[in-house]
Amino acid sequence: MSDAPQQGLMATFASTLAVLLIALLALFQATAGGAAFTTETLRRSAVAAAPVTLPDYAIVDAQGRTYAMRQLLAADGKVWIVDFVYTRCNTLCLSLGTVFQQLQAQIVARGLQDRVGLLSISFDPLRDEAPALAEYARRMGMLPGVWQMVSLRREADRRRLLDDFGIMVLPAPLGEFEHNAALHVVTPRGQLVHILGLGESAEALALASALAPAAVRGMP
Amino acid sequence: MTAAALLALVSGAAALALSLPPGRALIEQSMVWHMLVQMPLLVAAGWWAAAAWAPGLGRQINRHGLTGFMLAQCTLAYWMVPALVDRAVVMPGADAAKLVSLIVAGAALRQGFAQAPLTVQLFFVGYGLPMMAWLGLYLASTDLRLCNAYSLASQTRAGQGMVVLAAVLGLAWAASLWRPDSSRNRPPRLIA
Repeated sequence: MSDAPQQGLMATFASTLAVLLIALLALFQATAGGAAFTTETLRRSAVAAAPVTLPDYAIVDAQGRTYAMRQLLAADGKVWIVDFVYTRCNTLCLSLGTVFQQLQAQIVARGLQDRVGLLSISFDPLRDEAPALAEYARRMGMLPGVWQMVSLRREADRRRLLDDFGIMVLPAPLGEFEHNAALHVVTPRGQLVHILGLGESAEALALASALAPAAVRGMP
Repeated sequence: MTAAALLALVSGAAALALSLPPGRALIEQSMVWHMLVQMPLLVAAGWWAAAAWAPGLGRQINRHGLTGFMLAQCTLAYWMVPALVDRAVVMPGADAAKLVSLIVAGAALRQGFAQAPLTVQLFFVGYGLPMMAWLGLYLASTDLRLCNAYSLASQTRAGQGMVVLAAVLGLAWAASLWRPDSSRNRPPRLIA
């Protein structure tokens, strides 16, 4: 302490402050300005700030028909609420299924079926072929024209699709998967514009119907 | 080679092995291996490296251990953010940054303790360990998966482990007060 204590203290204070500032900047940068501390909230705020244009994938529906995902999304000008499931799931997808059943009921009750569609995409293309999809659709009570179930045609597309949506799938015991679940609002032009939590289905429906072009409403 | 140098090399090599295949599978699948084995090993490697090779490092800008403690505290807090833990799992660049920064944090922590009077130590220990225990309790009790890279079961175990680690570190620090620190060759001062 005897050798120029003031000088040493000032250098210490300056470097302590510099460390704190750099750390705050790094944290600010990594958490979208302190708004998001989990990957899930980060991807939600990133998509809200800048919509993601989804690439095209070959998909299969419950009738075994193959087409391009863009084609399905654009087919009748609907805005879609998309979720990711696999048909053997007994945990998270069940609550997703319940949320989608409630959404389906609301869409029908409010006459929104020409403006908003529900789309469940399976991320287990190896096991979820057309018969499994059809069985799942029956079990969930999916109404044709309101709620559709599709799977990827090529297993190789699975990684890309999950990355584009920001879904992370982990193998779990008993052949199950653990994955992040959310409601994804996608426009007819294949733009992912909003990601909402499972508890925010009312907001998701409001956002989707607000985005749907008004002209669609009058169409026969 | 001194004991400190040997400890630095062993813990550093063990931590590095967990970032490379095949050890990497462990930190990819288990939050416990990632946050309670690899991260503490990195901090320990930095601590022992500073003790072995650079005991006087940064002394001029580290009066009372302030800069060392601040650097260590900020780096540790950064790698407790769930989104950044995820990033270290899926992005090799982020993982490399984690390896380097936590070794630096360990060295900074050691320099902090070496320079700090008891009151400054108490301030940082009293802030840092409750932060770790609080995060651990939250991870162990929430039904919300905070890391997309890890299962809820793994998160619960990591949370419980964090509480235990915070308690063990607190006890270790308290125990260290009872014997003179050989690296300083004098008992800790209560104030500067």
